[in-house]
Amino acid sequence: MVDRLERLTDLVLVLLRDQRPKSLREIASEVPGYPAQEGEARRQAFERDKRTLRDGGIEVTATAIDGPEQVGYVIRPEDYYLPDLDLAPEEQAALNLAVAGVHLGDPSGRDALWRLGLPASAGARPVAELPALPALPVLHGALRARATVRFDYRGERRRVDPALLRFHGGWWYLVGYDLDRAAPRTFRVDRMEGDVSALDPSSAALPDGFDPDAALPDVPWRIGEGAPVTVVIRVDATLAGPVLDEVGEGALAGRDDDGSVTVHLEVTNTAALRSWLFELGEHAEVVGPEEVRAGVVAWLEAMAGTTTVPEAR
Amino acid sequence: MATRADAGARLLRLLAVLTWLARQGRAPVSELSERFGLEPDELIADLELAACCGLPPYSPDQLMEIIVDDQEVIADLGTELGRSRRLTAAEGFALAASARAILAVPGADPEGALGRALAKLEAVLGGRGMLRVDLREPAHLAVVREATESGRQLELHYYSASSDRESTRIIDPVSVRLIEGHWYLDGYCHNAQGMRRFRVDRVSTARLTGAPADAEGLDGDAGAPGSEAFVPGPEATVAHLAVDESAAWITEALVNSSSEPLPDGRTGVTLAVASTVWFGRLLLRLGPHAEVLDPPELADVGRNAARQLLARYGAGPSS
Repeated sequence: MVDRLERLTDLVLVLLRDQRPKSLREIASEVPGYPAQEGEARRQAFERDKRTLRDGGIEVTATAIDGPEQVGYVIRPEDYYLPDLDLAPEEQAALNLAVAGVHLGDPSGRDALWRLGLPASAGARPVAELPALPALPVLHGALRARATVRFDYRGERRRVDPALLRFHGGWWYLVGYDLDRAAPRTFRVDRMEGDVSALDPSSAALPDGFDPDAALPDVPWRIGEGAPVTVVIRVDATLAGPVLDEVGEGALAGRDDDGSVTVHLEVTNTAALRSWLFELGEHAEVVGPEEVRAGVVAWLEAMAGTTTVPEAR
Repeated sequence: MATRADAGARLLRLLAVLTWLARQGRAPVSELSERFGLEPDELIADLELAACCGLPPYSPDQLMEIIVDDQEVIADLGTELGRSRRLTAAEGFALAASARAILAVPGADPEGALGRALAKLEAVLGGRGMLRVDLREPAHLAVVREATESGRQLELHYYSASSDRESTRIIDPVSVRLIEGHWYLDGYCHNAQGMRRFRVDRVSTARLTGAPADAEGLDGDAGAPGSEAFVPGPEATVAHLAVDESAAWITEALVNSSSEPLPDGRTGVTLAVASTVWFGRLLLRLGPHAEVLDPPELADVGRNAARQLLARYGAGPSS
């Protein structure tokens, strides 16, 4: 019996050999290992091989041909080969080190190097780990093809022309133009619900002058659709340095002799602000405006068991 | 008989070996085995099989020319098999994201070899400038990296969120890396007399002591397997929470936790708690939208944390 690996290897070589699509009968006569009898078993074996190739990123194209079988199969060179990247040796080495240095949670980077003929030598220490999400390759593919994407977000269907995929502050974001809201929007990729699908290539058309940098704020409390409020926060000396490092010196409104600082933050998402604030524990306090301070106190009182439950957002 | 997944994975690996061999002409078995993560006997078996593959009528002149012995593989495969092959969406993303991430590491040269390689890749794949990785650079990252790379000892003034205390520590640094958006230093802490992990953005001052680091024989994982940013020690307690949907975005972000739907529609979250200070702050963030199911001794941590913080607002209960 012919090893399936041998059959698959021969199949790839035969389907790539010339541009002429071959019928299943021709394929079975040229590639050892298919059932000798024409019929369902042979058809199933071939369909299984085709699926295996497709799962491995090798596209078999079916086209109409003359003759009794009517359908022929071919692997088109443009579907199989990449144009020559013409990488210099030091560029090849740099790509190898980059893949070794970044952990994305699956072996796709290594597989990419294999396909480029640049197998890595082992042993580099990782310097960065980025979360891997199934939607990321789909979104990246849509960006490359300039295709509109569709997904559910906060329980609503969204149609978005993508502009930028950005890793920021520990999260992956998609920045784009929301077609139904006719406005720039930013989406956390890990919070997209269900599958993300891409429409046809070139279906996306960003408005002239669209600036993805303006659409994605640097801090979590600016990622929201609320009206902006200036919140005054006092941080004691223990965490003053790290907080200023995070919010930027531009937010600094005052320093006290005991080392504490007051910062002014423009906030459009109070839930995100609260979450950030509580990570600082007793080292930070909302000073104003009064309604934001009262909201924090109400939240804490509900937890302390002295009042009723406030809304989460 | 191999399963479908096995045959597919073996095929991709074999094609990769053939691409490499087509370019190199010959390679030691040991080198191929290392580069492709294969046992030598597996490699030799697959290559011997490949030597029987080719085109009809499978006469010797139509088979792939591969000669395998115990030490070396010699191949004459022509230029076509040596060409780069198209990447899947996942592979294209992984390669571009890895290169972007390394170029975002402070001190990387965007005009260097990696920048040029990425430009060539994006010229072929498309999507130039549409993928960005921002790695925030904490104030003391530069000196921490310098100490790590040159093997010198560090003195850190450090705020620990788990103990809610500042301390001054002497560290022999082992590695610096970015995990889920934060930079961490792993090193031997002389004060704790063991490997510890530090968040670099919680360092308030850092200086070189002038002494060399003695980190030989230590590995960089803070004594813990895997890549978790939060490493539960032996004293950690496993806690179970029930979280409303409206607050699930907070627990989703926790490293070292797992979740499952509960019958009542809430999300059950299992996590390791090594510090009640840390756990109290997590519960503050979740607010009234989370309930500690287990263990009972952690049931009051959230209420106590809320009362303590209320005291700062001058609104605490008088009790």
